[in-house]
This record gives sequence, structure tokens and C-alpha cells, in this order.
Amino acid sequence: MSSASRTQALSLGVVIAAAAVLPLGLRVVNAVIPGAAARSSYLPTVETPRPREPFDETAASALREAQPEFIIIGDSMAGVRIDPRHLSRVSGRSVAGLYQQGSPVAFWYLQLKNMVVGNSLTKVRGAALFFRDDQLTTQVEVNGPVLDRVARDREPELDRVFAAHRLGRFSDVHRAARAVYQFDLTRAWLEPKILRVPAPSADLVNAVNNEIFALDKLRAFEAADLPQAEESFLDFDARVGRSVLPLILDLAEQSNIRLAFVRVQRRPTPTGPPPQSEALTRYLERLQAYVTARGAYYHDDYGDPNQPLDVYADGDHLRSDQRLAYSERFAKQHAAFFQ
Amino acid sequence: MIFHSLDFFAFFIVTLAVYWLLPARAQNVLLLVASYVFYGWVHAWWPVLLFATTFVDYWAARGMAAMPERRKLWLWLSIGSNVGLLGFYKYFGFFVENVAAVGATIGWNTPEIALRVMLPAGISFYTFQSMSYTIDVYRGHAPARTRFIDVAAFVSFFPHLVAGPIMRATNLLPQFERARRFDPAAARDATLVIVFGLFKKLVVADNVGVIANKVFALESPEFFVLWAGVFAFAIQIYADFSAYTDIARGVAKWYGFDLIQNFERPYLATGPADFWRRWNISLSTWFRDYLYIPLGGSRRGKWREACNIMITFLVSGLWHGASWNYVLWGAYHGVLLLIARLFPSPGPRTQVPRPVRVFAMFVLTCFGWLIFRETEIAQLQRHVQLSPWDTTALGRSAGLYLFLLVALYSIPLWIHDVWGELKGPNLSEALDRTEPSVRWPRVATQAALCGVMVAAILTLRSQTALDFIYFAF
Repeated sequence: MSSASRTQALSLGVVIAAAAVLPLGLRVVNAVIPGAAARSSYLPTVETPRPREPFDETAASALREAQPEFIIIGDSMAGVRIDPRHLSRVSGRSVAGLYQQGSPVAFWYLQLKNMVVGNSLTKVRGAALFFRDDQLTTQVEVNGPVLDRVARDREPELDRVFAAHRLGRFSDVHRAARAVYQFDLTRAWLEPKILRVPAPSADLVNAVNNEIFALDKLRAFEAADLPQAEESFLDFDARVGRSVLPLILDLAEQSNIRLAFVRVQRRPTPTGPPPQSEALTRYLERLQAYVTARGAYYHDDYGDPNQPLDVYADGDHLRSDQRLAYSERFAKQHAAFFQ
Repeated sequence: MIFHSLDFFAFFIVTLAVYWLLPARAQNVLLLVASYVFYGWVHAWWPVLLFATTFVDYWAARGMAAMPERRKLWLWLSIGSNVGLLGFYKYFGFFVENVAAVGATIGWNTPEIALRVMLPAGISFYTFQSMSYTIDVYRGHAPARTRFIDVAAFVSFFPHLVAGPIMRATNLLPQFERARRFDPAAARDATLVIVFGLFKKLVVADNVGVIANKVFALESPEFFVLWAGVFAFAIQIYADFSAYTDIARGVAKWYGFDLIQNFERPYLATGPADFWRRWNISLSTWFRDYLYIPLGGSRRGKWREACNIMITFLVSGLWHGASWNYVLWGAYHGVLLLIARLFPSPGPRTQVPRPVRVFAMFVLTCFGWLIFRETEIAQLQRHVQLSPWDTTALGRSAGLYLFLLVALYSIPLWIHDVWGELKGPNLSEALDRTEPSVRWPRVATQAALCGVMVAAILTLRSQTALDFIYFAF
């Protein structure tokens, strides 16, 4: 190699090295900005550090006092169907309900992990999770502070699942880059400042987000896109590895907790159960095979003659007067689970 | 595979390392295999179409060389297969939909044809590039190649496969046929252009693209909010598309290839003709050379010239997508060009100052982007009827805020372009003028820019990753 070539190669090396080294300056900037380095996240690979809501110790301690034997977990689908007190009476086992309206699957996982397994509930023998259709694998990531009240300071398993879901096979590289350059800490203080530069007040930024771009101002969703989206979402085998479901099953197995997965029936038609695509039917068969192979119970309310249209209130919610009847049926149908 | 992914980064490093260890002929084989892997990364069937296009055009060109008296037949075979492929994958649904709509108006109930055809990314680009090869062979501008590997590598060359620039056989094919050597100085300049492309895509285009997407998702945006969204889209499409070109050119340079500039500061154009000399140059010149001029260009009188311009722009609009708004967008630019030709520029003394002409052309371009971005014609009609006087205080403040936010994100883009216009080669243009000797102050500047842009990408990249816009075309 000639001297000129060596100099050229050196100049190339300088530019590449600068691209790798200069961003380390972000660490220096973070150290100088007051409070920038103090923020953290329990999902460090996928989330910008932010202030968080504290863990719900009150709910955790109430559960410790109650020491239930069985737990019902889910969103309003579980809440409108199971009355824990009545279920306790008819099953002869003490049952507690952990319901959170609109909660995602990751929330249920953290409830099981931090409110049940990690909460000194010595008598717990089983937990039943109520879900809709493909929710257990398609609903993976969660934005914002939705999980705060049930999350501990570190949730590495959930962070890995989220990272794999969003970042794919290179999630470890992303994690390392975040740790080395601390660019998320910089983003946490810099981005709000940039968004504020053209705004005379923070109120305007909030008004733009909450009023100008409010959900009810958006165009109607194009229904034509749904079938195609459904097909790609409903490949169970492709989805399950990047979902929270294996974490739930692992946790239950390690803690010797019996699991039941209950698929609720969505709003039926006047003449029968709601329409169900072939792709969804295939998906549910794979889901059932997967969870039962791991020792969990599986139950599907679909087509239940006790749940015609007239027992439904709005959407997929049952009428409030159906709660006791559903709880009774549930205890009878799943007597083996409550043994 | 997309450029701004670690998949691509790993792919690039591995292929590059192997590439420079191989002799020239084997390099082409590697590039061909790598390009097919790149293209089939997400949908394994896409390379089948790419191969079919290459295969037909290779043999069409060979046919022209072997049977000169039947070369027109071979040419039509090539054009027919390329346009047929493009027509099926891009326009079949559009055609069926419109036939059904016309039928319905005269009382015919056409049977519903439910055929969902997925548009393979980049098909519009590589079919045009491949077609240019056979047309150039037909015209005698290029010889028919005997080595299939070279032609296949030329058609599929992955840096520009999915979104251009559309290269000509006369320019790129000879580069595959000669030995290439690694040039560290060119690689250094290319690195800076790649990083700049990533910065434009991830920091500028994606951040303002989120604003444009939000505005165009509104059912009834107010006047100022809508136009802030249009401004956001104008910046997004330029930053996004030119970013792809920059990354493509930079990556190609690392392999020893030169791809042409596709953008020359288009938002500093002073008129419609000037704009089309600066925007998506490879496509504009393709249509000029393979459609406008064969139609007769300006050689058959004013009336015919006007017709040719309109045909060229309508086809160019339709090339962008199977939707009436793209046709309308093409028509709009055709009319702009015709008006500009009707009123030629006055003498230097009476000329409007250049900044005013640039601003006026930018406003006209933005109006075109409104047509381009709004795919629902009924919504478009509502948008153009909006009045600046029929607005709320919040709508005005929000519009101004969004406009300024977009302006803020686009500052680096404007600096880069104004610098190139007034002071000589900017980052993208410098790639064509690599200096043979090392000047350390220049290297230090390049290193600093690279480091700062990487830091900006890490810190300010949009949380919402958007596809390159031209993948859809």
C-alpha cells in the first residue's frame, strides 16, 4: 500500500471512528443537564426514561390480607362476567378478582408476577385469565404509564419480550447501544424542549394533541384493510414467540399455579354466535393446543347457548344481572380447575 | 430489507467484506446473489418477478442482436412484458374498480372480481430500468450483452433497486463490466452521504411525516392545520426520497459504483421547468427520453408539443400509483409547465427577484403535493374549498405551531440546499467530486459532521418508523 493510500485509509478510519465516538458526548451532556440522568425505566430497551406512577402497594397488601386461593385476571370482559364473592360461595374456594378496565396482556402478566407470585400469597392454587380472540399474542406492546401500578423497578423479562417484538433479532444490540450512548436520557429532556420551541405555551401543545388530533376528529377506519391485517396477525406460531404468553405460562409453572385461559364470546348476532373467520378458527386451535400442552386449562365460550344476544348489554359486555349466573356456570363447568 | 435496519447493516458489512476479496467477475455474481437476498428478504416471491423481467429483457436484447430485421418485434415483447407485469400488479385493481364504476352508472352490474394483488416494492423502478436497456439496444445506443450475470446484476443492483435512481444501461452496465478497485477517499465521502441520508430519513422525514399523517387522517381539518400538514408532507417526501437516493449512492460507492444524482435542490427551483430539472431527475429524464421525445417532443408544432407534455405528465402521474389523484397531480404539473411556456421569462431588467420566484414555485409545488397526498377525491374537493377566514383561534394557533415545528425539523435540509446553491457542492454533490489527496481540515469537518449526525439520529429519530414513501410506487 502506498503512502497516499495509507493516508486515504486513515482519513476513512477517522470519519468512521468519529461516527462511533462523538455520540458518547451525549453522556457528558446528560451529566451536565440537571436531573437528566436521574430518570429510569423498567423497560429500558424500548422506552424513553420517564417519571412513573408508583407500584400499587395498597392493592398488593389487600391481597396479602385476603390470601385467596384462586385469582381471576382480566379487563372488563372478566369484570362483567365473574363476581368473585359469588364464585367463592359456589366453588367453595376463596376467589379474588384482579380486574382493570382496558388492561393489556402485559398488565395481566405483571399482576400475576408482582401481585400474586411475588406478593407472598401462600394459598394461591390457580389463576384464570379472560381474553378476547387473538388478544393473548397480538396485543403485545404498551405505550406510556399503563403498566406502572403493577410494575416493579426492573422488569427484564418483559423488556426482552417487548424488545424482541419491536426490534427483532438485534434487540441486544439496541440494548447495548442505549446503555453505551445513553441517547434515551438525552431524548427525554431534549425532545420536549424541541416540541416547545415553536409553541408560546405548553397548553397549545396539549391542545394540538388532545383537541386538534382527538380520536373523534379522525376519518373512519377503512374496513377494507381489515381482512388482510387479520391474516398476518393470526399466524399463531409466528406470533407466540414474541408475545407475553410464554412468560405467563413459565411463571405459573415455576410457581406451581394452575392456569386457565377463558376465551369470552364476543357480541353474538340475533341468530347465533358472532361470525368467525377461518384464520381465527385456525389460530384458536393452535392456541388451545399450545396452552394445554403446557398444562393449562382452556375454555371457549363461543357458541354457548346460555349467551344469546339478549344477555348482552353494550359491545361484548354481558348485562349486569348475568354476572351471578355466569359465575355459577363457571364454577360448575370448571369444577376440576377449582379442586 | 430496509436501509435503516440492523439487518441491512449486517448484510452490508458481510457482503462488502467478501466483495473486495473476490475477482471482478465473481464480484458481479456476489452482487447478484446479494441483491436477490436483499429483495426477497421479506417476501420470498418478489425475486421471481425480478428474474422474469431480467430473463425476458436479456433474451429480447439478444434477439435484436441476432435478428436485426425483427428487432421491433423483440422490442415490443420487452415493452409488453414489462408494462404487462407493471399493469397487472399495479393497475389491475384500479382498472376493475373503474370499469365497475362506469358500468354501474349505465346500469350494468359487473361481477365483483375480488382479487387482492400485492404490489411488489420497487417494481416500477426496475421494470423501467430493465426496459431502458432493451430500448437502448433497439436504438443502437448500447450493444446487447452476452453475459447474463452482468445484465441481471445491473437490473437487480440492490442499492437502488427499490426506489431508484433509475439508471441507464449505457451508464451502469459498463461499470459492471470493468474491474473496480476500493477507493478509501470515495468510501469516506460515501460514509458521510450515507449518514446524511439516514439523518434526513430518520430525523427530518419521519418526524415531519408523523405530522403530515396526523393531519391527513383528520376528517375535516381547518385551513391552517391542513396547509401545515401539506408543508409537512412537502418536506417529508423530499427528505425521504432524497435520503433514499443518498444512501443508495453512498452504498453503491462503497462497492465502487457511481449512481447519478436524483435531486438538485428542487425546492429552490424558480419555475416548473426548473423544478423538473431538479426533482426525481432519473425518472424525469426517463420519461423525456423514452416517451416525450418518441411522441415527437417539441418538433411537430406548438399544439402537438402541448399534447406531448400533457401525455408525459399524465403517464408520469399514473406511474406513481393507481389512483386518480396521481393522474390529477400529473395533469396539474403538465398545465403548470404549459402556462410557464406560454409566458416565457421577461428580460433580466423586468424579472421578478429570484427569492420571490423560488417562493412562488414552492407554493405551487405544495399545492401539487396536496393533490398527491390526498387520495380521496371528495376530500380533496373539500380541502381546496377551505377558507382561511373560516377558522377558529385554536385552528390558527395549531396551524402556525405545526408549520413552525416542521420548519424547525427541516432547517438542516434548507441549509444543505442553500449552501449547495450558493457556495458549491454540498454533502450529496461532493460524492461526485472526491478529491485525490487528503486535506485534513476537510476530513475533520466530515468527521465532526458524521459524529453530530449520528448523535442526532440516536437522540431525535422519530419514535414512529415510517416506510420510505417511494416504496409504495
